[in-house]
Amino acid sequence: MNSIFKNILIGLAAVRANLTRVILTSLGLTIGIFTVSIVTAGVSSIDKEFDKSMEYYGNDKIYVGTWPWSFEFDWWQYRNRPKIDEDSLEYITKYSTYVTDVSIKKNTWTRGSFGNKSSWLQLNGVYPGYDEMLSGTKIVNGRFFSQNEWDLQRRVVIVGGTVRDGFFDGENPIGKKIRLNNVTFEVIGELKKQGMGMVPGGTLDNLVIMPSSTFSRILTRWGFDELVLKTKPEDMLKAKEEVGMIMRLARKLKPDEDDNFSVNSADAYQEQFDAIKIAIAGMGFLVTGISLVVSAIGIMNVMFVSVRERTREIGLRKAIGATNNNILIQFLSEAVAISIIGGSTGIILVKLITMALSAFSPLPIDFDLLLIFYTFMICVFIGVSAGMVPARTAANLNPIDALRHE
Amino acid sequence: MPKSKKEIIAIDSISKIYHLGDNVVKALDNVSISIYENDFISIMGPSGSGKSTLMNIIGCLDVPTKGVYKFSNELISEMNDSQLANIRNEKIGFVFQTFNLLPKLTSLQNVEVPLIYSSLGRTERLERAEEALRIVGLSDRMTHKPNELSGGQRQRVAIARALANKPSIILADEPTGNLDSKSGVEILNFFDELHKAGNTLIIVTHEESVAKRAKRRVELFDGKIVVDE
Repeated sequence: MNSIFKNILIGLAAVRANLTRVILTSLGLTIGIFTVSIVTAGVSSIDKEFDKSMEYYGNDKIYVGTWPWSFEFDWWQYRNRPKIDEDSLEYITKYSTYVTDVSIKKNTWTRGSFGNKSSWLQLNGVYPGYDEMLSGTKIVNGRFFSQNEWDLQRRVVIVGGTVRDGFFDGENPIGKKIRLNNVTFEVIGELKKQGMGMVPGGTLDNLVIMPSSTFSRILTRWGFDELVLKTKPEDMLKAKEEVGMIMRLARKLKPDEDDNFSVNSADAYQEQFDAIKIAIAGMGFLVTGISLVVSAIGIMNVMFVSVRERTREIGLRKAIGATNNNILIQFLSEAVAISIIGGSTGIILVKLITMALSAFSPLPIDFDLLLIFYTFMICVFIGVSAGMVPARTAANLNPIDALRHE
Repeated sequence: MPKSKKEIIAIDSISKIYHLGDNVVKALDNVSISIYENDFISIMGPSGSGKSTLMNIIGCLDVPTKGVYKFSNELISEMNDSQLANIRNEKIGFVFQTFNLLPKLTSLQNVEVPLIYSSLGRTERLERAEEALRIVGLSDRMTHKPNELSGGQRQRVAIARALANKPSIILADEPTGNLDSKSGVEILNFFDELHKAGNTLIIVTHEESVAKRAKRRVELFDGKIVVDE
């Protein structure tokens, strides 16, 4: 063990002696490690954001709306569809065996203000009991509105975390009066902050919830309605199918007519998202793979040069007692060191860039010890594979011939 | 020949045969020789006489095609590469015509190289290397690199390297070949001292003046020992 360590030190000394050459050689690996880290970190960050967004939509929620949730959004196909109305909810409540809870969700955006502060807010009008259907967040302060408040179209709202921070600056928002569309509302509850997500608008917290009855009376301008249905996650597929059929019934569609509504859920996003993720990762790993192979060839080349340059040294070392394994380890360590230098430079670059990016981008890029560990393992693997043939050549040199080498 | 001395090397009818195309070259032809403790031997012979081959075999850099070679009763002719490497490391000190110092290492580090391949710890390694440099009179040149030393000093560093592992024999191949005559004489005087101190020396040379220093003279011709006196 001790002698292995000594041979590694000899190999490292050779690296230090040829630092310029080593750095140039290791550049390929720097690029490779850089790409693979950025891709891995990027994909895992997107993943995390996506999971958070999925939580927002919930894996137990079905959303019936005019448009399908799709990145390929052919709006002209859907624009003549009838609006979602609350009558359909009665059918669903009546006939569905899988749906356990229902609500309308009216959506619009409006300017809201508190004192001299104002901001664009997302407004939702929902049924009482919708607090039971919230996913990814919950009431952390105050309360939800009651059936009575809904019946009386009370001007009460529950605010998201961003609204609280923006308007009330850390003060307790309960009981405060805010103005939405020039109408005064009382804040009665506050939602837990969720952070950024891949949803329209980016943040999940720039949200104000109120009774849908109040919403309809005061904010009838533009926006869209959805039905939010709760089911058990394991019943999701069957429930969606069932809801589709009930909606056709509610819409009184003939068998040869196409659906004029869309039954959506988070897993629809999931599929499309997975495809994008695979495309990003695939491209990244292709580039990485190529650059890793090229850099391995570069390291192998420089190692052959190193062996050739030091043939006499190898002859001498063998003559005075180095075994084949001693020489093998010496040159393997040199190759591994070159590759670790390349890899570490890559990691440092990644670190610098993520630090720079995190100042601008809302999507934080993950950077953890596991990544460093994997990089290290990749470097050792590449160093050993690239160095093996040159190192074996060195180890098997005949000391008599090597000593005569000019 | 003093029979009371301990036999270190016993070479019994060894041959080294090379096949060059259709030609069969007998570099060594049925050579036998014994080397005893504190011998001071010169091996002479013209080019192609087989002296280099004999030296390589004695130095365990090569193995004979036929015959038996025993070193301190260990059967060298049957050993594999790494066993040979260990024998070279522990029992043999090499001195080369071209010194073969590693240019980027200091004198001390150069002397340390053979010790690195032994099982010694770091402290003992340094002590041994310093001691060897002291013996060759270069205590004040330990941190110098080869290009900062004269030819004679370089060869002395090389001798210190050969001495560092306290070898059973010191094998020198034309040790004065690359030196001016003054440095050459210095080195030869030093070999005399080493001999007096009890070391066993084998010098391969083609110079009469060098051979004269030795107490025993072996001459090779056409792969055979023709003189051993």
